[in-house]
Amino acid sequence: MSVTEAVKAVGLRAGARVVGVASVEAFRAGVPEGYRPEDILPGARSVVVAGGDGPTAGAWRCPDHRVMEITGYDLRENVAIHAMCDHIERDLGHYAVQAPSLPVHGHEPPMSMMHAAELAGLGSRSFAAHIILNPEYGLLYYAALITTLPLEPSPPLTEPACPHPGCVAMYKRIGTTPCLRVCPACLSGTVRDARIETSTYDREKCHSRAQTYGIGSFQKALLTLVEEADAARRHDMIYSAFFTRSIESLGFFRDSIAQCFECMRVCPVGRKHRKLK
Amino acid sequence: MNDSAAATKQMKSLALKSGATVVGVADAAAFDAHAPAKHRPADLLPGARTVVVVGGAQPRAGDWVATSPWVLSTMGTTERIQGVGRRLAQAIESELGHYALFVPPGTASGDTPFLSLMLAAELAGLGSRSLAGPVLNRDHGFMYWSAVITTAPLDVDPPDAAPACPAAPCREMWEREGTTPCLRVCPIDAGGCLGGRLEDQRPVRTAYDAGRCQTRVHTHWVGGFQKLLEETLNEPDRERRKMLVYGDFMTRTLWAITYSSTNIAQCFECMRVCPAAHGLREMR
Repeated sequence: MSVTEAVKAVGLRAGARVVGVASVEAFRAGVPEGYRPEDILPGARSVVVAGGDGPTAGAWRCPDHRVMEITGYDLRENVAIHAMCDHIERDLGHYAVQAPSLPVHGHEPPMSMMHAAELAGLGSRSFAAHIILNPEYGLLYYAALITTLPLEPSPPLTEPACPHPGCVAMYKRIGTTPCLRVCPACLSGTVRDARIETSTYDREKCHSRAQTYGIGSFQKALLTLVEEADAARRHDMIYSAFFTRSIESLGFFRDSIAQCFECMRVCPVGRKHRKLK
Repeated sequence: MNDSAAATKQMKSLALKSGATVVGVADAAAFDAHAPAKHRPADLLPGARTVVVVGGAQPRAGDWVATSPWVLSTMGTTERIQGVGRRLAQAIESELGHYALFVPPGTASGDTPFLSLMLAAELAGLGSRSLAGPVLNRDHGFMYWSAVITTAPLDVDPPDAAPACPAAPCREMWEREGTTPCLRVCPIDAGGCLGGRLEDQRPVRTAYDAGRCQTRVHTHWVGGFQKLLEETLNEPDRERRKMLVYGDFMTRTLWAITYSSTNIAQCFECMRVCPAAHGLREMR
């Protein structure tokens, strides 16, 4: 087994659904200076990306929408990344760091996990909020590590995961796709020659729907509370279900990442893994 | 071994390997007699057949005997057992090809859970309700629970035939003094939460003040934050507001919210004195 295969095997054993590798050189074309892997870890040679499962197929089928709103995540991709980092540092003697993926300014992370997943051959951008879809599993969550270890890069996808052939056929027939139809408020785009020709999405609108509970809703509610002069109304607002859930979502980070899944609910990519007995 | 027996064995083995102390399987239909509509397995997962329940992540024997109350009040968490539940749900789908729904540990609304994990543990034969309230496992005592609802037809476990509560020392104490350790440490008629008796050597709960218990169990957490936030916003004096915001209570509350994941409790007294709550194994 090659070193690259061994590292991937560690990640898969630790719970990743897929693991891919990108060379640091691959980031230069699309990533500005200051945000490249070697800007985070001096001497970086490779980026290893792990994709983890989203909600289970059972969660997608649950008729109570609150279940998907507050749960469904495993986030094993982070565990897989740490397992691979440990393996690289302890067994192979090279530096390895988890790539920073949480926003530090606005919505911007120091390093884009979506771009890393694309470059590691794990998926391609979709019409649906530009979410990276893996051709086999569809929606996955991604984490990455940066290392000074030289590894064999994974080949790029030969065919993009989006648009799915079923969506291309639908577009030919009625000029839209399942995701574009279910959320015309956030998404728009066109298909040409079975490829995405244009694609835009209203990130701010999407963000306010996808994360109705979270840091943003807490900040919003807190400002309203501070500005409310009437003590009785403040009391009601503080103990309301909305504010309670917003506080819970701060603590239950993994249980409350998003509250809207509609563009992914109708997406056929990876659906075979969501059709079970 | 037939298919369902093999699948059950495979999933139980994975659960134990992933960190569960105990694992059992309940019939999804068994909830119908006990759980209200919309809180039964099939309400959450159409076609549900079984519910796999895992227990563990309980305080260690050392935690129970620690002299600092802050050990238990800051370190107790259901996080580790929920990780096992999540892993099991993924495995049921990827290895058995059946739908699996990890029961969210939060509440659907107010204090109502999506599915009662205590009921699930009882129906999976993993324990029985104690006079103090928590479901106690006969061998390991008090533990945290996680559950996965699935369409997989797994082999169902029988109910627990020998309840952990009341333990022999509690039965003796009842004969002698007309109370038990948990009733004595938190008596409802003296500012506590619990009321009950032993009848034919079985626990019979007669009273439980859930509201009072909750304010003691969760002194720091979401409720504590809400209470202090209101107090801070109502405080007209700037210096006092600053003291409230930077005070120990607010600081600990924020730690509890962000580090506790899904549950943290600050009162364990009824369980601390319970002879059945700490498991059968003697520590040196």
